[in-house]
Amino acid sequence: MVRTILALMKKEFLQVIRDSNMLRMVFLMPIVQLFLLGYVASTDVKLISTAVYDDDRSGLSREYVRSLSAGEYFITDTPEISLLEAERGFRESRYEVALIIPRGFSRKLQESKQVKIGLMVDGTNANSASIALGYANVITRQFNERVTGFSPPITLRQKRLYNPEGESVYFMVPGIVATLLTMITMLLTSMAIVREREIGTLEQLMVTPISATALILGKTIPFALIGFLEMSVALFLGVTWFRIPFAGSWGLLYALSFLFLFTTLGTGMFISTISTTQQQAMFLTWFFAIFAIMTSGFFAPIANMPRSIQYLTYLNPLRYFMTTVRGIMMKGASLDVLYPQVMAMIIFGITIFTFSWLRFSKRVK
Amino acid sequence: MENAVVIDRLTKKFGDFTAVDEIGLTVQKGEIFGFLGANGAGKTTAIRMLCGLLLPTSGSGSVGGFDIYKETERIKKSIGYMSQKFSLYQDLTGDENLWFYGSVYQIPRRDLRKRMEELTETLGLSEFTNRPAGSLPVGWRQRLALATALLHRPKILFLDEPTAGIDPVFRRRFWEILYRLADEGTTLFVTTHYMDEAEFCRRISIMHQGKIIEVGKPQDLIARYDQPNLQETFITLISQEGGNG
Ligand SMILES: Nc1ncnc2c1ncn2[C@@H]1O[C@H](COP(=O)(O)OP(=O)(O)O)[C@@H](O)[C@H]1O
Ligand SMILES: [Mg+2]
Repeated sequence: MVRTILALMKKEFLQVIRDSNMLRMVFLMPIVQLFLLGYVASTDVKLISTAVYDDDRSGLSREYVRSLSAGEYFITDTPEISLLEAERGFRESRYEVALIIPRGFSRKLQESKQVKIGLMVDGTNANSASIALGYANVITRQFNERVTGFSPPITLRQKRLYNPEGESVYFMVPGIVATLLTMITMLLTSMAIVREREIGTLEQLMVTPISATALILGKTIPFALIGFLEMSVALFLGVTWFRIPFAGSWGLLYALSFLFLFTTLGTGMFISTISTTQQQAMFLTWFFAIFAIMTSGFFAPIANMPRSIQYLTYLNPLRYFMTTVRGIMMKGASLDVLYPQVMAMIIFGITIFTFSWLRFSKRVK
Repeated sequence: MENAVVIDRLTKKFGDFTAVDEIGLTVQKGEIFGFLGANGAGKTTAIRMLCGLLLPTSGSGSVGGFDIYKETERIKKSIGYMSQKFSLYQDLTGDENLWFYGSVYQIPRRDLRKRMEELTETLGLSEFTNRPAGSLPVGWRQRLALATALLHRPKILFLDEPTAGIDPVFRRRFWEILYRLADEGTTLFVTTHYMDEAEFCRRISIMHQGKIIEVGKPQDLIARYDQPNLQETFITLISQEGGNG
């Protein structure tokens, strides 16, 4: 039994190493995903190009503009422009925000009267629009206090926990680690089994006295190991290149990843029992993976989803793993906090793996 | 003499289509049995049932004394199977393929090395075992596949069109190897298209549209139908049966 499993594992590794497509996928995928999602899909809102229409042209109005552009959020070094031009720039996407300071701004401010200034935001990207508005609000309030010396009775003192700089990479990398592990283990398992069926080697294997157990273990352990390798590459790059802090326990992360693998390996095995060609297996794997990633909270918070979809996410094992990886890496979460996630992963792991195991053994007989 | 294969009214249906229709035959230990039939006659389907790869729809059968319904695991230990499609790992070398199947058959490590050397030697494969199986010419591939099927020293060997697409010289050498195996006591159950090859078999059966229409020694069949050779006998038999069986 052990010997058969080892023989299968060695064979599987040899095949991955000799298949240049497979090799590319295994080693390039973590790197490409990290850099693509770490940089390009960054959700940080910075360097917002801002048009300024200052109809007041006073020292105070200029100071307000200066304070707005002091941070790295708004860039106002575009020349002062007319209202008409601001509108055109908006349509052409040259500006994302336009600031309109009406005549009488400084006079009213000095007389302690209420002043209204206009801020137009390009709402195409709802997320960055609301973030830009948030920044502008804070800056305006601070300016207010400074000029009038009056602070409103309630002020909100904000403190961002776990990720004080609000870097989206800190949030993305753990997510990438979780999705990588999901995709690679599911894909390799389903493809490896279906490929053997397609070329006829599975039939040759079935006339040997190999047991279903040995076959399943020999076909899942190698991909679990490759999954761990991928995960380690992604984590290594995350910590060294993106300099993300790692708050929790490495041991716990790997242990819980191992637990999670039962669901992905099980799903891969299930896919192999319902596909006859490698293309079919690949398509089905993408289908499962995209559903899992979309409802895992990787990109959009689950709380923002429609209620019905929110219920659906409870059926997605990746949702629990996503919380687990982010929890361990960003907040240093330990088992007593992650207890519900761990329970969910155990239940899903046992159910999916057992179901696929039985289905696979039956198909093989 | 004991029987290596016994089947009775063995049937396989795929939906409404009957691929194997109540066939019956016995194969004696140590004989070379030729399982003939045109393309689509149902030969592969019958062999797959005998090897425990496919569950029969009805009928009975035993291979090496083991029941094809209940004792497939024991059948698998005692048979070798060379499928009609080349089914070794093409990206692994000959040695790696042999080593892999040897391990799966649980052949003790030291024996395995020795057997691999012996087999590749007798099959004239020694120079080719370091190349990826997929890069070998067809004739060598078939020898490698045969070596793989022989590693665990099976008592009964099922060969599904082992010489398809191989040139005549190679085919002749392949049959010499099969003869030697039969001399050593291995039972051979061989399907083939080539009638000249069928004459090498001790007994043959002819299958047509799922049914076995004739069984016997090649020379007996030739005499019975008063034909010059097996080729003509086969054609006469098939045309007698007609298109609809
Ligand atoms: N899994 C299957 N499902 C449906 N039909 C099949 C299946 N396998 C074989 N057949 C059909 O059974 C018939 C016999 O096929 P086969 O046993 O491969 O013939 P042979 O080996 O004699 O050429 C063919 O018509 C083939 O299409
Ligand atoms: Mg066939």
